[in-house]
Amino acid sequence: MTQRAASLVELLRHWGETRPDRVAYVFVADRGGPASTCTFAELHRRVEIIAGQLRERGRAGDRAVLLCPHGLDFIVAFLACLCARVIAVPMMLPRRHGVHDVASAIIGDCKPRFALTTHELLNKQRSDLAHRYGGLEWVFADEDRDAAPVMATALPKAEDIAFLQYTSGSIAAPKGVMVSHAGVLANLEMIREVVDLHQPTYVSWLPLYHDMGLIANVLQSLYVGSLCVLLSPAAFIRRPLAWLRVIHDYRGAVSGAPNFAFDLCVSRYRPDDMADIDLSCWEFAFNAAEPIQADTIARFIETFAPHGFSPRAMRPSYGLAEATVLASTGRRRSTFVERRVSQIGLQRHLVKPPETSVDEQRVIGCGRELAGEEMAIVDAESGSVLGATQIGEIFVSGVNVSKGYWGNRAATAETFEARIHGRMQNWCRTGDLGFIDETGELYITGRIKEVVIIRGINYYPHDIENTVQNTDPALRRHGGAAFAVTDTLGNEGLVIVQEVERTVRQQTALPQLIARIREAIVIEYDIAALEIVLIRTGTLPKTTSGKIQRTLTRQLWMQGDLVGLTIHSSGSSMSSAASTVNVAFSSTA
Amino acid sequence: MGTSEAQIRDFCLDYLGRTLARAIPSHEIVAEARFASLGLDSASSTHLLVELEDWLGIELSPEVIFEYPTIGDLARFLAGQSPAPDGCH
Repeated sequence: MTQRAASLVELLRHWGETRPDRVAYVFVADRGGPASTCTFAELHRRVEIIAGQLRERGRAGDRAVLLCPHGLDFIVAFLACLCARVIAVPMMLPRRHGVHDVASAIIGDCKPRFALTTHELLNKQRSDLAHRYGGLEWVFADEDRDAAPVMATALPKAEDIAFLQYTSGSIAAPKGVMVSHAGVLANLEMIREVVDLHQPTYVSWLPLYHDMGLIANVLQSLYVGSLCVLLSPAAFIRRPLAWLRVIHDYRGAVSGAPNFAFDLCVSRYRPDDMADIDLSCWEFAFNAAEPIQADTIARFIETFAPHGFSPRAMRPSYGLAEATVLASTGRRRSTFVERRVSQIGLQRHLVKPPETSVDEQRVIGCGRELAGEEMAIVDAESGSVLGATQIGEIFVSGVNVSKGYWGNRAATAETFEARIHGRMQNWCRTGDLGFIDETGELYITGRIKEVVIIRGINYYPHDIENTVQNTDPALRRHGGAAFAVTDTLGNEGLVIVQEVERTVRQQTALPQLIARIREAIVIEYDIAALEIVLIRTGTLPKTTSGKIQRTLTRQLWMQGDLVGLTIHSSGSSMSSAASTVNVAFSSTA
Repeated sequence: MGTSEAQIRDFCLDYLGRTLARAIPSHEIVAEARFASLGLDSASSTHLLVELEDWLGIELSPEVIFEYPTIGDLARFLAGQSPAPDGCH
């Protein structure tokens, strides 16, 4: 069936009819209450009810933003859009206290007719949403009518756009990756093939608006007709080990998360609380969506091997929304690979053995290209393919790669229509740097694109710099640089370097100014800045044409060379923070 | 009689002093500082609340951080909430 379906809509019907009483989704309650479940028949029935409303009130090709809390209603809303041939737009719920509004940017870009929500959210918890987004038609995904669902006459076609993924663009310039029904099915099939298990149980706490949470778990389980057990991101943050307990309880076989989550499990590990936990069922542990640290993987395996976790289950992977979700991963029953290379070499974009132990850097293989996909390491300027010992930009091409960004020809051409010498097809530029060794294994060593990835979510320097400069008139416009560094644990951290006017030079005012910047960053983005550095006006590195040089600023910060320009810094010691920075991510060109 | 406001305040100051040591100078971690200005994002405020829940034996909504945005405010609120002291943590 999976091979013949033109869309997930057909699969939903198929499972609804052929395994009506099998449980499709389980939601584990946040604080130990009873779990809620939904069978395939029930899911299908609820989806058709909401799809019916969308068909009645709109037309095929309309967009619908999903303003739903984490839960079954989100999944129903998403699938209802697909059934009604309405383009679904998953997104993070806008922060209640923020003014810098990603949701408004997305709504402005895709101009939706509908907003799908729930009664509980819109009428009780977040009545501010109706005010903020007044022009939308609200549809309630938790509406349950007894009326028999009207089946659609027209099914979506393979090339129709199923949904837009807004994870790659800033607030200033949002970019919605267009994912077609064919594209998502292609990537789901690629994942099925590498996972290579018969109807495994999936377990996930990832946000449903996140591509890894939605596609690689919720849609993947629907694709193969198996069970997906979900807990909330909040439940994971409260008690990280609850994730592993759910894997144990439900005998989860496939479950993944960004690198930080594996670290959190290790740091919260208490043998007494975990005595009964057996993780031998866990066959596929995706580690993706942020840079992967060799130390994290080693610590996780060491900690959980006594609980039956197999090192072979650990699957460092690489993905991006432009390729639907997954671009590379390891094969089942083969252990991930790790290489020791020279740090100095990496900085020169060359892969070579370390010269001394100090020069040694461990890099983790992210597996190989998937069936139906091709990857290449390219010198983006010349368009020529590089050899196995050279670092260049990762290019990807295949059936899972999107055709482009919604309504944005220029950005589409730049990202999706790159060329390689001597090759006919279009390639997608990932903005990531790496190398592919002689065995075909992909290693990520840095990135060209200016993006900060924290807990698997992408943030854009330009947006953060704007927020900083809105905090106080003394913080000069176009005088700031936000960039990512890697902290001691291997997690990515945000550093802000900002010029401050001479008017606020009293030493007492500066810490307050920094506290206000820190507060604004928390309110708008929910990120704790690792360090905020205030520098003299006119000293931020810029090109002759006035473009901010974030990469150079970052380099100066890491080398401790900003000290001479610094008026005040939030960090206790810039150089000590800098010395902890992982060299792999300083290799960006 | 529940845990006193001063005890709760000291507990928070001590916890934040330890966890924020690398990012914030210790003299800036005071009862009047707003949580957000100390860089407490939702993950780190959740961790603080979990510590408080375990210590005081109560359940807290993540919203309390917004409703009582400083250590002092939160301690005042919690002192009125907490059940009999368990004497240790």
